[in-house]
Amino acid sequence: MSKTSERVVSGRPDIHVVKPIPVRSYGQWAGAAVLLVFAALFLKNLTTNQNMQWPVVRQYLFHPDILSGLGMTILLTLLAMVIGLSIGIVLAIMRLSSSPVFQGASWVWIWFFRGVPPLVQLILWYNLALLIPEISIGIPFGPKFATWDTNDLITPFSAAILGLAFTESAYAAEMLRAGIQAVSSGQVEACASLGMTRSQTLRRVILPQALRIVIPPIGNDTISMLKFTSLVSVLALPDVLYSAQMVYARTHQTIPLLVVATIWYLVLTTVLTFGEHFVEHRLHSGTPLSLREMLRRLVVTVPFRRQKEIAS
Amino acid sequence: MTEPLLKVERLRKSFGSNEVLAGIDLEVHERDVMCIVGPSGSGKSTLLRCLNHLEKPTSGIIFLRGEPIGLRWKGNRLHEMTFDELSRQRRRMGMVFQGFHLFPHKTALENVTEAPIIVKGLRPDVARAEAMEMLEKVGLADRADYFPRQLSGGQQQRVAIARSLAMKPELMLFDEPTSSLDPELVGEVLATMRQLADEGMTMVVVTHEMLFARDVADHLIFMDGGVIVEQGDPKQVLTRPRHERTQSFLARVLPEAV
Ligand SMILES: Nc1ncnc2c1ncn2[C@@H]1O[C@H](COP(=O)(O)OP(=O)(O)OP(=O)(O)O)[C@@H](O)[C@H]1O
Ligand SMILES: [Mg+2]
Repeated sequence: MSKTSERVVSGRPDIHVVKPIPVRSYGQWAGAAVLLVFAALFLKNLTTNQNMQWPVVRQYLFHPDILSGLGMTILLTLLAMVIGLSIGIVLAIMRLSSSPVFQGASWVWIWFFRGVPPLVQLILWYNLALLIPEISIGIPFGPKFATWDTNDLITPFSAAILGLAFTESAYAAEMLRAGIQAVSSGQVEACASLGMTRSQTLRRVILPQALRIVIPPIGNDTISMLKFTSLVSVLALPDVLYSAQMVYARTHQTIPLLVVATIWYLVLTTVLTFGEHFVEHRLHSGTPLSLREMLRRLVVTVPFRRQKEIAS
Repeated sequence: MTEPLLKVERLRKSFGSNEVLAGIDLEVHERDVMCIVGPSGSGKSTLLRCLNHLEKPTSGIIFLRGEPIGLRWKGNRLHEMTFDELSRQRRRMGMVFQGFHLFPHKTALENVTEAPIIVKGLRPDVARAEAMEMLEKVGLADRADYFPRQLSGGQQQRVAIARSLAMKPELMLFDEPTSSLDPELVGEVLATMRQLADEGMTMVVVTHEMLFARDVADHLIFMDGGVIVEQGDPKQVLTRPRHERTQSFLARVLPEAV
């Protein structure tokens, strides 16, 4: 009587004793080898190509002009996102209101600002004075209390903020609308039965949950916004890109200065990506994410990770 | 006879051309427990939801201590209330739903303190102390810091009851509070409700739990097709129903328990 229920075949070792040979993914190995060769070529070119002019990159990476441009890029991104999200919340609420006038106004706004490219908008806002020479506060069709020359109000900076924030507001509104609709109507009824007013329900129950749902898309939008801010160079607004352009216009060191800008954009998007993962994890589990886990998530996406876990 | 706590007069409700409530009159007296039973689709939930105007009645008036719900006299003119005016009346009636509807982003304790803090303006430490008392009452003081998703259905429903109680309502409305629970969890929720009834809480309970209705209710209502078919003492109605519709309903839902 053998210890295992398996049929005995002469010469074969006991199935409980031998260790099975793991699956070998030859295709993956071959692919990896090809990629490594390309990576080596790329790295060699990056480090040895004289045209990269690494000493120049090093010289300008922390140059005051570049750093102040970096500050401008960050400021534009933050302001455009904050203003865009605020308008987006109002638009989303209008879109879900029972009044067809609010719904329609919100729809038109979203339709326009999602449809017009941000670059076109920047130029349009900058040239607003050509369309509307003065802006005033007063009674519609009646007397005016205060009037400003549009040219004084619209600077490259305010034109940039308007264009970027309005574009963001349209996208944010659609995200938030989906987030708000994901909060069950049962909870809204529970709030009503507890005697909460409409605005209390919105502030305390609906928005906190909706915002949680839209954190990942907002993170994505912030990264997109960071890159969109480079458009402001058409308004001669000194962000990172325009500051670099100003330098190479003088020195003709085009490639190294573009590398400087590229490095800074990559640094910022990396920081934002980490921040997004951190916030998202915090919201879902209430505990901060360890650095190791964060790196793992950046590299391996969830379904593939799960596949690996199932297989092993 | 004292004035009833809640009085419903000539209540009708239609959704489009579908008349769901076809003239309901009833009275609930202080400290009374009223159970409402009836087949699916007979309008029980709609009736309950009309009481605190989660549904607006098509016609008819609901009085809470003689005050019409959702309506306000201004001189000799009758005005509909705004949502926010209505919320002052709604907070006087607690409501417990079949699906609990807890706030998933808040702990059990925060679910209970939320409305007292923001609606009544209670100081947070006072609200917390009161909320702990309520959780104690439903037997969940040790789960105060759990989130709804970490609680069983029965525990969630008891938190929902505590959440309503924290507003110190004058009466409690229950819409099939145990219908979405696994059978072994029904008992704990019914026990909590029984305890509430013993403490003298006025309750209107839509339920399929006939034993609960028999033992706890002071008054039983059988609804079918949007009207009250039969009402009275629960033992009377359950054991000797007079109407044929009541008899056939009870024959379906009562094995031989009562
Ligand atoms: N919001 C609504 N819009 C349209 N019809 C509705 C709405 N709510 C309820 N009804 C209809 O009203 C009728 C009664 O529904 P109600 O939920 O009051 O029944 P119920 O007695 O509570 O049934 P159950 O025991 O299944 O909960 C049903 O025919 C339903 O389709
Ligand atoms: Mg129902």
